[in-house]
Amino acid sequence: MEENRSTATENAFRIAGYLCMGVYFLLVIFPLGWILLSSMKTNQEILRSPFGLPAAIAAPSLETWSYVADKFARAWTESHFSDYLFSSVKVALGSVSLTLLLATPAAYVLARFVFRGSRFLFLLFVAGLMVPGQLVLIPIFFEYNLIGILLTHAVNAISVPLGLGTYYVSLHNSHVGIILIYVATALPFSVFVLANFMRTIPEELREAALMDGATEWTCYWQIMLPMARPGLVSVAIFNFLGVWNEYIYALTFLDDETKRTLPIGLASVSILSEYKSDYALMFAGLVITMVTIITVYVFLQRHITRGVTLGALKG
Amino acid sequence: MIRLPTRMILLFVGPALLIYGLLYLLPALAAFALSLGKFDGISPPIWVGLDNYRELFSLQGPFFQSLLHNLFLIFVPGILMLVIALLFAYWIDQGLKGAGWYRVFFFFPNIVPTAATSILWLLIFSITDMGLVNSVLRYLGLEPIAFWESSNVLWTLVPVMVWSGVGFFMILFLAAMSSIPDSLYEAARIDGAGLWSQFIHVTLPLLRDTIATCWIFIIIGGLKAFDLVWIVEKEMPTSASHTMATLMYSEAFRQFRIGYGTAMSVILFIIILGVTLLSMRVYRKERLEY
Repeated sequence: MEENRSTATENAFRIAGYLCMGVYFLLVIFPLGWILLSSMKTNQEILRSPFGLPAAIAAPSLETWSYVADKFARAWTESHFSDYLFSSVKVALGSVSLTLLLATPAAYVLARFVFRGSRFLFLLFVAGLMVPGQLVLIPIFFEYNLIGILLTHAVNAISVPLGLGTYYVSLHNSHVGIILIYVATALPFSVFVLANFMRTIPEELREAALMDGATEWTCYWQIMLPMARPGLVSVAIFNFLGVWNEYIYALTFLDDETKRTLPIGLASVSILSEYKSDYALMFAGLVITMVTIITVYVFLQRHITRGVTLGALKG
Repeated sequence: MIRLPTRMILLFVGPALLIYGLLYLLPALAAFALSLGKFDGISPPIWVGLDNYRELFSLQGPFFQSLLHNLFLIFVPGILMLVIALLFAYWIDQGLKGAGWYRVFFFFPNIVPTAATSILWLLIFSITDMGLVNSVLRYLGLEPIAFWESSNVLWTLVPVMVWSGVGFFMILFLAAMSSIPDSLYEAARIDGAGLWSQFIHVTLPLLRDTIATCWIFIIIGGLKAFDLVWIVEKEMPTSASHTMATLMYSEAFRQFRIGYGTAMSVILFIIILGVTLLSMRVYRKERLEY
């Protein structure tokens, strides 16, 4: 009797589990399918039957498919989605590689060597973890104004006497400017995680190499870096997704349509299209954005889950 | 430890320190100074002392309202997210088939850029004929709901935030659950505990640390909330939907009240600092061993 009851509840537990998770599975999948189908519809089709199939699927013909192709082509060029994607890739790769280039040696030295002020320096980096980006946002806007003026004067002090003309230098509305901000923002977390990672690498390896006559420099490049690879990959992915997703800085610093990254590009095009009731364009832009992130996810899923949860597990 | 030449230290730490100091620490410190002035971005700032803060702290003021909105966006979706994530993780941990698939698919919404999430749900909950939810309501003969009306925005964002957060917390819970030894469950079963009481008496207590970590994530993330509200409100949130960050942004970059906006970001920082220090203290005090 007892045995029967417990298997009965266990079965109920399982069935409830499959049901709930099945429903949630649909909640994740359905919106993706919906935007894909809707992106092939005309505005009239979208409004007439939000659940219906697009003509390109229901009645495939040269005409319906050329409409779809034409719409995506317009989103890609006229609405600048090609520029947004290119900017996002450029900014993300630029800031991730520069972050790693700066954070790794700093983390290595702070993790493995004791010198006057080493503890203070480490804490200084870690303190940045408690500073929200919003506190930095407004002052850095005006700091960039000042740096721009200084750089312009400096450049022109050289270029004008040489007869090379006058230049206007600004970190506003520039990919270099925003990459530098992203790097500065990513450094506390990256240095913290990488330093903790490097502390787990056995000291004997390094000592043995030094005995064999290796310099500190080769030690770093040939022993520490290869050993720290899993940590580097996680930090890189964590930062990549952070930059890929970033909104408030990009909104503030990137003005030109050709320089905007995907998140602000998508948002600004969509807000404008909604006023004009051009839903077809919104769906096309959404599909382009989703396809890129799905592609990344398909290739890096395991690393991504680890990289993203890394921040939580460190505590 | 072997001593490292100063030249080497400078070369290794210097560049990172320069960028971090110049573009993060310095502006963070400058924020405190900027918050004590009246500044429109063009004419030189005027010293006003604590006036900006005085304006912030009036209880009828917009800042206090926006803080309440942040608290709403922390606790309402937060509780739902954690309950759902705990249940899902427990089901998977108890051996439901297809665990790998749930992990991959449930986590996916978490990496979709927030801007895309906002636009997606803006369309799903749209009041026009294309809105999925409203067309179902119309089909059922019900009145359509203006989900994105400013006064409804916060409630509408609840399912959106749950949708994008559940997978992340589920993965964290799964990792924690897999480190609970089977012997504990067996002992509970011998004592006659069913699945439910195993969950309540074995799993939950042992996940206390993980749940605390999740709350810190939710609280800090919720205090900084900007993207979702900013986009679904089409860059113009109202007094019914402003969060601290959107109010700060509107004041500083739309109204050009830069000192006032910066004072808000300073308060936001102090709140976040308080939460972080409090959580570190809790962690140091009680570490669960098993």
